[in-house]
Amino acid sequence: MLESDIRSIFKCVRCGACRSVCPVFEEIGWESSGARGRMLVALGVSQGLDVSSSVFESLNTCTTCGLCRQICPAGADPTGVVENLRHQLVLKGKMTDSQFNLHKKITSSSNSLGEVLDRKMWLGERINEVGKTADYVYFVGCLGAYRYPEIAALTFDLLKQFDVTLLPYEVCCGSPLIRTGFDADDLIAHNIEQIRIVGAHTVITGCAGCYNTLKNDYPKMFDVMHVSEFLSEHLSDLKLKRLELTVTYHDGCHLGRCNGVLEAPREVIKAICNLKEMKTNGENARCCGGGGGVRSGYPALSLLLAKKRLAEVPEGIDYIVTSCPLCLKNLTEGGSDTDVIDLVELVAFAMEQ
Amino acid sequence: MEIIKELQYIVGSKLVTTEPSELYCYSSDASQILGMPEYVVRPENTEQVSRILKLTNKHGIAVTPRGAGTGLAGGAVALSGGVVLDLSGMNRILEVDIDNLQVAVEPGVVHAKLNEALKPHGFFFPPDPGSSDMCTLGGLIANRGSGMRSVKYGTIKNYVLDLEVVMANGTVINTGSRTLKSSAGYDLTALMVGSEGTLGVITKALMKIHPLPKSRIVLLASFEDAEMAGRAVVKVIAGGIVPSACEILDRMTIEVLNAYDLKTPLPDAETILLFEVDGTESGVQEEAEMVKSICRSFVSSIRIAADEKEIDEIWTARRLVGAAISRLDPQMTRVYVGEDIGVPIKEIPNMLKRLSSISEKSGLKIMTYGHIGDGNLHTGMCIDVFDEEQWKRLNQAADEIHRTALMLGGTVSAEHGIGSARGEYMRLERGLALGVIAAVKHALDPKGILNPGKLGI
Ligand SMILES: Cc1cc2nc3c(=O)[nH]c(=O)nc-3n(C[C@H](O)[C@H](O)[C@H](O)COP(=O)(O)OP(=O)(O)OC[C@H]3O[C@@H](n4cnc5c(N)ncnc54)[C@H](O)[C@@H]3O)c2cc1C
Ligand code: SF4
Ligand code: SF4
Repeated sequence: MLESDIRSIFKCVRCGACRSVCPVFEEIGWESSGARGRMLVALGVSQGLDVSSSVFESLNTCTTCGLCRQICPAGADPTGVVENLRHQLVLKGKMTDSQFNLHKKITSSSNSLGEVLDRKMWLGERINEVGKTADYVYFVGCLGAYRYPEIAALTFDLLKQFDVTLLPYEVCCGSPLIRTGFDADDLIAHNIEQIRIVGAHTVITGCAGCYNTLKNDYPKMFDVMHVSEFLSEHLSDLKLKRLELTVTYHDGCHLGRCNGVLEAPREVIKAICNLKEMKTNGENARCCGGGGGVRSGYPALSLLLAKKRLAEVPEGIDYIVTSCPLCLKNLTEGGSDTDVIDLVELVAFAMEQ
Repeated sequence: MEIIKELQYIVGSKLVTTEPSELYCYSSDASQILGMPEYVVRPENTEQVSRILKLTNKHGIAVTPRGAGTGLAGGAVALSGGVVLDLSGMNRILEVDIDNLQVAVEPGVVHAKLNEALKPHGFFFPPDPGSSDMCTLGGLIANRGSGMRSVKYGTIKNYVLDLEVVMANGTVINTGSRTLKSSAGYDLTALMVGSEGTLGVITKALMKIHPLPKSRIVLLASFEDAEMAGRAVVKVIAGGIVPSACEILDRMTIEVLNAYDLKTPLPDAETILLFEVDGTESGVQEEAEMVKSICRSFVSSIRIAADEKEIDEIWTARRLVGAAISRLDPQMTRVYVGEDIGVPIKEIPNMLKRLSSISEKSGLKIMTYGHIGDGNLHTGMCIDVFDEEQWKRLNQAADEIHRTALMLGGTVSAEHGIGSARGEYMRLERGLALGVIAAVKHALDPKGILNPGKLGI
C-alpha cells in the first residue's frame, strides 16, 4: 500500500462518528460494513491481513457515497482509502468474480452494460442533426444511451438549440471500472481523442458518475458541466411554463456532495414548480445505493439502500426528480410509489405547448 | 459441541463471526488499547445474552460487552480473547412514559436517537456526551459518562432508575424499580452504573427524562489567559449560578473550531468560556446578566450568541472538536491519552497552569477544552503516529497529567472511564477501596469472565 494511503488511514481516530451516517452500516450492522471498519480492514491488509472474501465484502459494499468523508471530524477520507485499496488489490490480481466480470464486460463492449448494439440507436432521425465540431459536447453515458434513450433524446433536443453536439464514437467514461479498482486508461484515451476531434472546450453530462469521472479522473484538458448547470445558465432562453406541481429532488452523491453541484438543479426546478426537500438533502443527502459497484456486486443490498432513501421522500409531492440515470434506476427499482423522473423530463413538461 | 456451534445455535449463524477481518474491526475502540477477540456475537435479546453467558461461564471464556466502541479507555476491547458481545443491535426504545417522566430502552440505542424521539414530546435526556451521535446508552451507563450539561443536570448516574442486567452466570436481575426513590437494600443500580461491563451485561435501562427548557442563552466570554478564565468559573459558580453548560476552549481549540467553518467565527482570544443558562425566559435573562457582571473584571470581551442557530452551530462543532484537531496538520493525528481528568473546581486555575508547564516540558502542544464547570478538563495532543520518539513524549506527558490531577485531589477520569488505559492509576486514586472493588467483582463474577483486565483489578 502507498505511504499516503497508510497516512490517510492513520488520520482516523476511530471516533465512530461515521457509524451514524454510513448507509451500508445501517443495513448490515457489522463493524466491517461501516467506514471505521473499512479503515481498520485497510489497516489490517497493510499489515498482512489475509485478503479473504470478507475483506472484499467490507471494501466492495461501500457505495463510495462520501458521507463519511463529509462528516469525519478528523478529516480522514475513508471513501478515498476504499477506492485506493480496491485499486491496489486489483493491481495484484485480487478481485471478486463480480469485479472480474464487470471488467470483462466493459473492456469487451466499451459500455458498462455489455450491450453490443449501436450506442447511437437512441438518436434515430436526429442523426442528421449532429454537428461535426462544436465548443460544447453532450456526453451521453452508457445508461443514457442504452437504458434511457428517451431521456438522452430529450437532453440532446434541449442542448442542440445551443449548438451542442455529440462525440462521433463515445465509449464508457470509465467510472464503473475506476470505482471498482481498475484502470480505465484505454477508455479515457479514446474519449479524449473524440473530444479533440470535435474541438469542444466543455463536456456536458447528465450523469453523476460520468460527471465525477470526467472531472476528476480525466486530464484537465476541458471543462465539465452537468446538464443542470448548463440549463440553469440558459433558463431565460428556455421559455419555461410554470407548472402546478410539487416535486422533491434527490442529489446524486457523486454530483452533489462529491462535486458541489447542488444549486443548479434546484434553480431549474424552482423555475418550473415547487420544490419540497427530502429529509436529508444537499451535501448531507443519503445515498440511493446505486454507486461504487454496489448495484452490480450486491443488488439486494443496493435495493435496501434505495428503500431507505425513498423513506425520506416528503409527503404530498408529484415527482421525485433526479439528475443521474443510475439514481433514477435504483430509486425506481427500489419500489418508489411516486414516479421518479430525470430533471430534463421535468424541463420537457414545462416546455410542452 | 464446539463453542462456535453453540453460539450459532443461540443467536443464529448470521450473528456470530470468527472471520479474521471482522475480528480485526472489533480489536480496538477509540483509545490506543488493542486486543483481538476470538468471536464476535451480536445478540438480539436478553434471553440470548443470558444463554451466551451461561455458556461462556461454564467454559471460562472471557466476554467483553461492547456498544458502539467509541470509548476512550479500551473498555470494549477484549484483552483475553473470548467473545466480544456487540450490543448495538439491541436498539429499540421500548417505552416513552411521559406521565411518569421515564423512558425504557435497550442498551444499543444511540444517545442522539433517544433525544430525537423525546423532542416531539417536549422532553429530553440531559446527559449530553460529545459522542451523542454515535455512542450507545449501554456504553454511557457502563462508563458512567456525562457531557456538557452535567454541571446543572448531573451525570448519567442521576438518571438511571432500574437496569435489567445479565449476571456472569446468566441470571437476569433487575437492580431498581419504577419509583423515583427506594430504600430497599443495596443500591445495585449505582453499582452497575460505571461498572464497565465487569459485573454484568446491561440489557435494558429505565431512565428519567426532563422537560425541555423553554429558553436558553449562550454567552461567549474571551480571556487573556486560561487562568483568568478558571478564576471566572469559580466566581460564577460560587455566585450561585448553575449554568446548563460551562465550557472552556483554549487558543488551539478556538482555531480548530473556526476551521470548522462556523458562520460566525469565535472571537480571536487566548481562552474562551462558553456559558449556557437555560430555564424560563425571564430567568435566563437575569442569569445571563449575572454571569456578565461577575465576569466583567476578568474578561477582555463578552457577547451573547445571536440566536438558536448560532447556539446549535457552536455546540455541534464543539461536540466533535476533540477529533477535529487532527485537521490542523495533515501529518498529525489526535491520540486520546490523558484526556479526561477532573479536579475540584477551586483547583482549575492551578491545573491549567500546570498543564501549560507539562506542555512546555514535553514540547507537545496540549489543547485544552472541556466541561470546566464541573472541573472536567479534556486535554488533546496530536503527534505524528509514525514517530516513536513523539509517542514516548506523549505517553510521558499523559502520565504527568494524570499524576498532577491526582495530586490536586482530582480523578484520572471524570467521564470516559478507566478501562485498561488508566488501570494503573486506580491504586493511586482509590487506595484501599480498590480491594473492596476487587472483592465485589470476585463475588459477582467468581470465574472472572466479564471484561477481564479492566479497572486495574
Ligand atoms: C469524539 C468523542 C467524544 C466523546 N465525548 C464524550 C463526552 O462528552 N462524555 C463522555 O462521557 N464520553 C465521551 N466520549 C467517550 C465515549 O463516547 C463514551 O464513553 C460512550 O458512552 C461509550 O459508549 P459506547 O457505546 O461507544 O461504548 P463502548 O466503547 O462500546 O463501551 C464502553 C464500556 O461500556 C461497556 N459496555 C458497553 N455496553 C454495555 C452493556 N450493554 N452492558 C455492560 N457493559 C457495557 C464496555 O464493556 C466498555 O467497558 C467521547 C468519545 C469520542 C470518540
Ligand atoms: S473515519 Fe473519521 S468519523 Fe469515522 S471513525 Fe475514523 S475519524 Fe471517526
Ligand atoms: S463512502 Fe458511503 S458507503 Fe462508503 S463507507 Fe463512507 S458512508 Fe459508508
